[in-house]
Amino acid sequence: MVLLIDTTEEKKGKDIAFLLGKYGNRTVILDIPKEGNRLVDSFEMKYSEDVVEYVDTEHMNISHCFGCNFCWLKTPGKCVINDDYEPLLKRISRADQVWLVSDTRFGFVSYKTKNIMDRLMPIVTMNLHYVGDQMRHIARYDHNPDWGLIYTGEGDKDNLSLWCERVAVNFSTKSLGVFEFDKCGEAIGCMQ
Amino acid sequence: MHAVIINGSPRVSKHSNTERIIDSFAEGLALSGASYERYAISDKDNWDSAREAYIKNTEIIIALPLYVECVPGILLEFLETLPVKDETTRISFILQGGFAEAKQLECGKAFLDKLPGYLGVSYGGTLIKGDNFGIRVLKESEVQKIITPYRNMGKAFVDEDGFKPETVKKFAGPEIFSLPIRLMLQLMFMTLARKNYRDIAKGWGCKVPIDYRPWSA
Ligand SMILES: Cc1cc2nc3c(=O)[nH]c(=O)nc-3n(C[C@H](O)[C@H](O)[C@H](O)COP(=O)(O)O)c2cc1C
Repeated sequence: MVLLIDTTEEKKGKDIAFLLGKYGNRTVILDIPKEGNRLVDSFEMKYSEDVVEYVDTEHMNISHCFGCNFCWLKTPGKCVINDDYEPLLKRISRADQVWLVSDTRFGFVSYKTKNIMDRLMPIVTMNLHYVGDQMRHIARYDHNPDWGLIYTGEGDKDNLSLWCERVAVNFSTKSLGVFEFDKCGEAIGCMQ
Repeated sequence: MHAVIINGSPRVSKHSNTERIIDSFAEGLALSGASYERYAISDKDNWDSAREAYIKNTEIIIALPLYVECVPGILLEFLETLPVKDETTRISFILQGGFAEAKQLECGKAFLDKLPGYLGVSYGGTLIKGDNFGIRVLKESEVQKIITPYRNMGKAFVDEDGFKPETVKKFAGPEIFSLPIRLMLQLMFMTLARKNYRDIAKGWGCKVPIDYRPWSA
């Protein structure tokens, strides 16, 4: 399952989802919660290779991480913030690929995208180990999605690529790369 | 020198490691004759006063924790609310993280090196240091060992007029650890560290193992 998480103001990710449905012969599920509605928390969804799920976060209430560390040391694996994030996190943890579709600010991803990434801590444990030459947290689950980024605006591509790679190692998986929205054909080719 | 110090952590000040680091750093500033005022952005009610201070002053230091390899989302949001200023304002950063090696901070540092350019201001450098996770959970004597060295960095900031590359490099410690040290740490992670985390979790009222899986992925 490919999960597209769209935080862009212009909802650029929807174009990608439509293209995948039209030319990729994939089943596209659009999750576009309306104002006040929550993303449905369902595991009944088809987690199959054929499925692309698109989530528009505009009307989702997603807080920043407070850094309480409860998801490691008090309620392991669960974030205690009661907002719309948990159903998204469950989808992330089940997906094969997660593509962030993000606007950029100061050359980096927008705070909306960064908030989503900062809240990933429940999918790793407090326990540490070495991966290559650096310390990392041990993943909580056996399956972890690969990460890719498609961005709008003037992104600092070198640093975004470094970020994506480091994040992927942190979450025991690999980076699918970083692509400008206007040149994201190659990214779409990798979505499987 | 009069510095505005902003804590960019989302953690409430009482639990924030950055706050303790600033305590020590600010002592050093004062020892070298500088004055300072402090702000924290964890409570959004304080954003207006922090922004006002940023606008009115010319020596700004933002201290922040590394969050998922870069700046915390909440700080990115705050930065978006700052007006562009000119080069008479200087901004510097203290970037601190949980993992111990200096290399872990490379992506955050690269972002901060370019940030002043986006804000239109000049740059006074970024101090980087890992191995700060314990501040929140260790006993006070151990905490002092971690935070005291920041006092000298406060002095150096005034005496050397900013964070100078040689000082930063020395303070940051090794980029990565040597293989024998890594092997020793790995052994510790598998034994003593696990026990310590279990004990902390118990103290926090945790009812399940810390590698518990609330759902199957
Ligand atoms: C959501 C989250 C993400 C973190 N990501 C990293 C990281 O990528 N690398 C690292 O070295 N430390 C990371 N840390 C550890 C913090 O940087 C470290 O504990 C810091 O001292 C916290 O400072 P504070 O209490 O002022 O927030 C993370 C902590 C949290 C809560």
